[in-house]
Amino acid sequence: MKKYAPFLVLVLALLIPVVLRQKPSLVYSLNLSMIYAISAQGLNLLMGIGGQISLGHAAFMAVGGYTSAVLVTVLHVPFGIALLAGVALSCAFGLVIGFPALRLQGFYLAIATLALGNVVTDIIKRLSITGGDYGLRNIPAPSLFGFTFGSSLSQFYLILAGLLLTVVVTRNFIRSKSGMALQAMRDSGTGAVAVGINASRYKLLAFVLASAFAGLAGVLYAHSVSYLNTGNFGLDLSINLLAITIIGGMGTVWGVVLGSLLWVFVRNLMGSGLEMLTGVLFGVILLLVVLFLPRGLSEIGYRISARFRSGHQRG
Amino acid sequence: MWTLVFRGLATGSIYSLTAMGIVLVLSTTNVMNFAQGDMGMFLAFIAFALLMRHVSYPVAIVAVVLVGLLLGALLERGLMAKVRKTTSYLGMLIVTLALTMILEGLAGYFFGTTPLLFPPALQGDPVHVLGAILDRQDLLSLAVAGVVVFVLFVVLYRTKIGIASRSLAEDEYAAKLLGIPVRSIYVFIWATSFGLAGLAGIMVAPKLSLEPGFMIVIQLKAFIAAVLGGMNSVVGAVVGGLLLGVMENLVAYYVPQIKDSFSLILVVVVLLFLPEGLFGRRAARGA
Repeated sequence: MKKYAPFLVLVLALLIPVVLRQKPSLVYSLNLSMIYAISAQGLNLLMGIGGQISLGHAAFMAVGGYTSAVLVTVLHVPFGIALLAGVALSCAFGLVIGFPALRLQGFYLAIATLALGNVVTDIIKRLSITGGDYGLRNIPAPSLFGFTFGSSLSQFYLILAGLLLTVVVTRNFIRSKSGMALQAMRDSGTGAVAVGINASRYKLLAFVLASAFAGLAGVLYAHSVSYLNTGNFGLDLSINLLAITIIGGMGTVWGVVLGSLLWVFVRNLMGSGLEMLTGVLFGVILLLVVLFLPRGLSEIGYRISARFRSGHQRG
Repeated sequence: MWTLVFRGLATGSIYSLTAMGIVLVLSTTNVMNFAQGDMGMFLAFIAFALLMRHVSYPVAIVAVVLVGLLLGALLERGLMAKVRKTTSYLGMLIVTLALTMILEGLAGYFFGTTPLLFPPALQGDPVHVLGAILDRQDLLSLAVAGVVVFVLFVVLYRTKIGIASRSLAEDEYAAKLLGIPVRSIYVFIWATSFGLAGLAGIMVAPKLSLEPGFMIVIQLKAFIAAVLGGMNSVVGAVVGGLLLGVMENLVAYYVPQIKDSFSLILVVVVLLFLPEGLFGRRAARGA
């Protein structure tokens, strides 16, 4: 059962847009939630595996999105190259910022990432090439190898591919030597250092990887929403991404997908007039998760599947 | 020049009020409270609603501070006490983030997101003080901050509960061993901190416009002030807030290009090169 579950999910995911062909707005929401899931996957690596915190994650999305959008609109670079450039620059920012920031811990890291995230969006806002306060409009849809992902239906598959890529990378990272080292450090810093783990190197690796995911999400966001404004990448988004990660379940691979689906669809369901209450509802869910479900929503799935396999040992 | 400095002090006094709340909570209960600013925002909205119903200004201030005290006590009793048992500092930090989402959402739902004009407590022409020209509201917030600092220090250094709180900040385990009622102290600390949030909100609201996100900036600046002052020192929070206010005002006047980023760059520099701040005790901050 467990063996086939990923394939089942994949087939379902591939079929969803075909079923929903008549409802492009619904597909659009799905796309958006997958983009947030990609970005939150980075936070998941950082927090769930590395035990670090970042309150400036949205800024890396901005770096990726703006880089790619500027390259495509101003310099007419093909999307594929712009995509790689966006992710690369986001990585570079992660490296530059992570180097000093990761010397800090806990609260201090929270404040430093919060401040640096604000500085980054502030700089983007001040550059003229990025449209300043007005932002960038009419960013063209992504196109690869001569095929243009014009409709939200076709973009669905592109974004799904990106999501799967981050899931696979995360999964492998968790099982790799670096991932093991990070988890050891998260659970016992002194113990990990005592057995000779180079703490700062692995933390930096996780930070750069997290920035890369955020950059990828930013690029996909820019070209599917086709509008960028630094106001959308502030503290609000960083906090929401944090909430998505925790609600979905830190340290699990699929948790962020659950979390971001919940976020996007709760917001859609509330409709106009009640949209302010989305924050309230989401905040309450976040509280409940912290209180009762330390592994987030994926804990529920885990418990159900554990019940099916009762008799077997958990684990 | 003096006007710049005094205006900076007035803004700084708001930072100080907020930073004191943050530092009080952090040093005793070990929670980084991201909801301090938004609690101030929420309480300012309550004050606004009261003022619109023709409640007199002093009554509104007192009422809001009392509501803040009550909410702080409720938060500790109803939520923090439970969370503390199950999770680490990360969990508690996230609880305060959840709180900001709830508070901003509620404020937006009940009062709308259009910016409102909050009436100042003192109106009238600016006054001349020591060669500087100041708004009356600025003078008021300076005076309020001064009184609060004085009262807080008397409480922290001369009363039993204050000294007990400081002992908790110093060494929680030893404090428990000595029979200090830790749970009541936590309630006292959270209540005080949200009372301060209410004061800060009501003092700064007339200078900005009242909307659900208006305290975020103040909150950020208060964090920076707290870092500057050393994170675990209430004196540091006061001095850090005032210093930040003055520096910001001077920078905004002489180098306007970097006025938005100045404090953010400052905090990173301080964290890297002067991690224990101006008044903080040396503690493990880095890996």
